[in-house]
Amino acid sequence: MSTSVRRTELPLTMRTPAPEARKRRRTSSPGRAPATKAFLILPSVVILILTNAYPIAYAAFQALHNGSLITPGDFVGLDNFAKVLADPAFWRAAGFTVIFAIAGVFGSWIIGLAIALLLRTRIPAKGILKTVLLLPWVVPIVVSAMSWNWLIGTSSSPVPSLMHALGFGDAIFLSDPLGAQITVCLFEVWVNFPFMMLMMSAALTSVDESIYEAAKIDGASASQSFRYMTLPIIAKPTYIAWVLMTIFCVNDFPTVYLLTHGGPVGATNTLVVLAYKTVFQNFQTGPGVAIAFLMTLALAAVAVLLFRQIRKSTSS
Amino acid sequence: MKNVLPPTAMSRRGFLALTGAAALATSVSACAAGNVGNTSAGGGILKFWDMPWGNQDYLGAAQALTQAYKPGSGLPGASYQQVNWDGFNQTFSSAIASNTGPAVSTGGGFQAFQFAKQGAIAYADNLIDSFKKDGTYDDFLPHTLDAMKTSDGYVGVPWNLDVQVFWYRKSILDQIGATPPETWDDVLAVAKKASAKGYVGFGISGGSGNYGPMAVLSLMINNGGGLFNSNGDLDIVNDRNAEAVDFVTELVKQGVVDPGSVSMKDDDLTTAWTNKKVALGFQSPAFNNVVGDEKDVLVTNPLKSRRGDIGGLYYVNNIMMYKNTPSQAGSEAFASYYIKNMKTLWQKGVMQGLPALKSITELPEFKANAQNTAVVEKWQPICKTTAAQSGTLSAKLATIDGGQAMTDFCQTVLSAKSPSKTILTKLESDIKAAIS
Repeated sequence: MSTSVRRTELPLTMRTPAPEARKRRRTSSPGRAPATKAFLILPSVVILILTNAYPIAYAAFQALHNGSLITPGDFVGLDNFAKVLADPAFWRAAGFTVIFAIAGVFGSWIIGLAIALLLRTRIPAKGILKTVLLLPWVVPIVVSAMSWNWLIGTSSSPVPSLMHALGFGDAIFLSDPLGAQITVCLFEVWVNFPFMMLMMSAALTSVDESIYEAAKIDGASASQSFRYMTLPIIAKPTYIAWVLMTIFCVNDFPTVYLLTHGGPVGATNTLVVLAYKTVFQNFQTGPGVAIAFLMTLALAAVAVLLFRQIRKSTSS
Repeated sequence: MKNVLPPTAMSRRGFLALTGAAALATSVSACAAGNVGNTSAGGGILKFWDMPWGNQDYLGAAQALTQAYKPGSGLPGASYQQVNWDGFNQTFSSAIASNTGPAVSTGGGFQAFQFAKQGAIAYADNLIDSFKKDGTYDDFLPHTLDAMKTSDGYVGVPWNLDVQVFWYRKSILDQIGATPPETWDDVLAVAKKASAKGYVGFGISGGSGNYGPMAVLSLMINNGGGLFNSNGDLDIVNDRNAEAVDFVTELVKQGVVDPGSVSMKDDDLTTAWTNKKVALGFQSPAFNNVVGDEKDVLVTNPLKSRRGDIGGLYYVNNIMMYKNTPSQAGSEAFASYYIKNMKTLWQKGVMQGLPALKSITELPEFKANAQNTAVVEKWQPICKTTAAQSGTLSAKLATIDGGQAMTDFCQTVLSAKSPSKTILTKLESDIKAAIS
């Protein structure tokens, strides 16, 4: 009784409607809220169409024509794709793209996770250390690439000079195909490990320290704890980080272009660099765009595989 | 297994769409563009785009020259914009495709042919006719105007020539007791002596930039070879070219080339010259001015190959006009003004190339750098274009010059690991694929 009295005593605006009334209210103005939401989203959709959908559609058009950036050319069907797939340079670039991505993803992940685990322990000056470790990721890639070029680019650069003085001969990393490939992969790891460190640090915060104590009491070693507890717990954010890093690495143009321009003799051409050169150096827009589309297809396939892993890890 | 993703998680389809869109947008959106139209190039102001053609003072001098332009009644004024060589093809192509390009520009040696083929160039025939009337036509150095002529008209107007000449640092040669080389064998002998003293005997840069490929091509033309035969067909795998490649390979194997030359950038090579570490090498005219050592960095006579031939490579750099202009009469008036007043660039000593006008080569300021005269008198007359041994320039040269095929070729030569005929066969195949 008192409850109903109190309800009637409340001002109209403060009264809680009965469940039926709430249901009625929700359905009384069908479409208004969705329409408002759609209206609010509309500007973003328009911008997205203008900045992404239109260029993608036009690029698809170009991939099916033999024109240039300026002239549309004739319709050639899938000839550009066939031409690209028959080109050994494409497969060489695809191969190195895979190596570059694997090195970039797993290299940066291993180092990032190791440092993230280290930063969970009690170490002095942790804050300063974290800031310093973020620098490779924070510094613009142009500056980083210039620095690396200065360090290793020519025979008179500091690192080759030092190695020469120590009796290692002429170590010109970027002049040798294998040396250049290793260098760009190392650079990619160096630039990206802070991102992985942040992702893994965030993932590790969800791990309750007490489970390790329990595992220790049960006789688990440190490596067993890491393998059977830490890794499964951080599996989902790890897969997400891998997906993101795969996209970063496959689409990474500046690293390769600034360090080696894809050389020597095309040894460090990735697909994105090859697409750029095909369009802007050989002026073959159709094949260049075809390379970009094929690259995207492969990237989407990798994303699907990793996404399945995310689902598996979540369900288990 | 049942999907246990929380309701707020992204669906697989959504995730794929997002991933695909992000990747595709990054990959291909830069490649897409619109078509050339006839809209104004920039609100009545005529846009002039220029490249860095000289030393650090060039930009100011070229800007001043543009700003001094006083358009005739009803004609637009001109604005100045400098474009870096790095990625210049992308800059021009993207801008022209999006109707934001220049009305008049300088640019790569074959850029005008490339854009003429794509329908973006306004032919310069009216301008050339006006030069015939006022006498400017006769002031151009021999063959330079002919190089711009196509079956549809003149694609541009020559304004400077980039001649690949052979330079030596006198102080190093004095130190090792050598005289300037006259033949390829001299080059090898001098370079070996210089290397023995810790210098780079033969400076060449195979990394980013175009000086490395230009140097190798210079030697091929020097030996009577080149990329084309006299009919204009590709003719790369021949004995003359093979001998030139073998000569460079020999230089590498003798240790007179920097071990990092495969990946060395043009700027790094210039720095090495400036730091007095290089004895010999191909460079553009007025290179002694660029390295700030006019008295010590000097031009040799044209080299004799082992067959006894002489020859070299040069580029006829030109000023071109585009259809996308606020006024074609305005473009022609500005281009005419620039050609007739560009002597100030050489008077101020900021240019690296040779002028295309004879009258400028006779200026005392130009002759003050004795090496300029040597280039005009000894090198320019024996040089040929990238089209050698054909005399006709075309759009396909824009793909070849500075393209991936030539860069890979130069880097393979400098690696000195493959037989010359194998390298040349690969070059021919790569060029065929690029221009097909």
